[in-house]
Amino acid sequence: MRRGERPIGLLPWPLLAGFVLLLLCQVIYHHAERVRFDASYRPLTEPFSAATYRGLAMGSTGLLAHLLAIRLQLHDNQAGQHFRYSLIDYDLLVDWLEQISGVYPDSEYPTLLASRIYTQTDNPQRLRMMIGFIERRFDDNPQLHWRRLAEASLIAKHKLHDLPLALRLAEKLSAQPASVEMPRWARDFEFLLLSEMNETESAIAIIQALLESGSIKDVDEQRFLREKLSEFQQKLLESQQDKSK
Amino acid sequence: MMLGIVGRRFVVLVAILLLVAALGGSYIGELAIINGRAIVAAFVADFLRYSLALLTVLVIAASVAEDYEFRQFERLLTMPLARWQYIAAQTLVIACLCLMLSLPAALLIGLFTDAATAAYWGAALWMELFLLGVLGLLSILSLEKLPLAVFFALAVYLLAKLSGLMTMIVAESVKMSEGSMTSRAIETIFNGILYFIPGLHTFADNNVFFAAADPLALLAEQGLSVSIYTLFLLAVCLVDFYRKEFNL
Repeated sequence: MRRGERPIGLLPWPLLAGFVLLLLCQVIYHHAERVRFDASYRPLTEPFSAATYRGLAMGSTGLLAHLLAIRLQLHDNQAGQHFRYSLIDYDLLVDWLEQISGVYPDSEYPTLLASRIYTQTDNPQRLRMMIGFIERRFDDNPQLHWRRLAEASLIAKHKLHDLPLALRLAEKLSAQPASVEMPRWARDFEFLLLSEMNETESAIAIIQALLESGSIKDVDEQRFLREKLSEFQQKLLESQQDKSK
Repeated sequence: MMLGIVGRRFVVLVAILLLVAALGGSYIGELAIINGRAIVAAFVADFLRYSLALLTVLVIAASVAEDYEFRQFERLLTMPLARWQYIAAQTLVIACLCLMLSLPAALLIGLFTDAATAAYWGAALWMELFLLGVLGLLSILSLEKLPLAVFFALAVYLLAKLSGLMTMIVAESVKMSEGSMTSRAIETIFNGILYFIPGLHTFADNNVFFAAADPLALLAEQGLSVSIYTLFLLAVCLVDFYRKEFNL
């Protein structure tokens, strides 16, 4: 049975006035929030220390480190817009990557972000910061990060045009003891650097070698590399066609 | 007793939790560039761990609270039944409830990871929920009020989980106060409290989803820790329950 309702005009007027006032407040507040939300890029905040994150993780340090890395990866996407990497404060970015690595040192995610995402900048100083981060992680755990150091070496040659730095990184790879398992080509990386290949050709060579070596077990990374490989092959084909015209 | 706990609403709630965990995990997995499956499995496992932990405490505490409300204890004690038998029956109920909760969780996680890791998580989650269930039983027997008991059990659980962070904060406060008497006293009290709460080895290790680990060694370590702490809690339950006076 439906309960009867009194006409709205019979309600006390202070109640109605209060209702209208609060409704207006809500609409105005929501509008102001939306304007503020849409306004502009929100910079990175300072991260907590790795020890604090480890305490907050309640034992799930691996999960928290990966979630923090994904959150960092999505930082350039805000309110449905993609912001340029040049807007990111790289000092803070490196700090975030260091802290995430400190939360769970066995994760490759922060070095992957450094080598594949945050090197998409032409600023030499920022590129050096990313390479420095990858090098430090490699020194901590060469077995886990040798692929990223190989990538950093290529970046040093082709994006920074700093061949001595690229060779120094390649030497680090070849100087690893036999206990660090990596394919033969990684130890001979200096030859690849000294060859006449351009950036796209080198990238294709290293991706093919990585996929064929079987050192990549993660299916997501295999898919990511195959996509990159076809992208680079397409780019190489287009550049060759342009040259022949 | 089990039928009183497990009803249609309970089954629907668990099914909703499993669905939310799977959907939430899949969404996060889509965002990951690498380790997508491991991240999904770890997220689903932790989401279910905390939601089922809350559910276990609520269910156990609510069931014993009903015994208080409907004066079941007075009725039971007129029967030829020792008090320890009530505690033993409740422990059995907790064990069965935890099995019913951890089994579907392990099956769901098995969709995102290998069978050995899923089996490890099922067994480790059972132990964690069982411990929490016994803690919930102790809380409701002692405090007799449902909100208080749930709050107490969850507070102990979270304190155990966050003990590392709390220790760090307390140590930092001693350092910042240049070793004042008050902060040193707080540190001593807190370190004393830590002796009475379970350590992190008592809980399921979520890092198994990211790094190769020996599941049997982890389970053995957790099993020892859970056994000691559960027996300690049951002893406190018995002491408290035997001390209680009921108007027969």
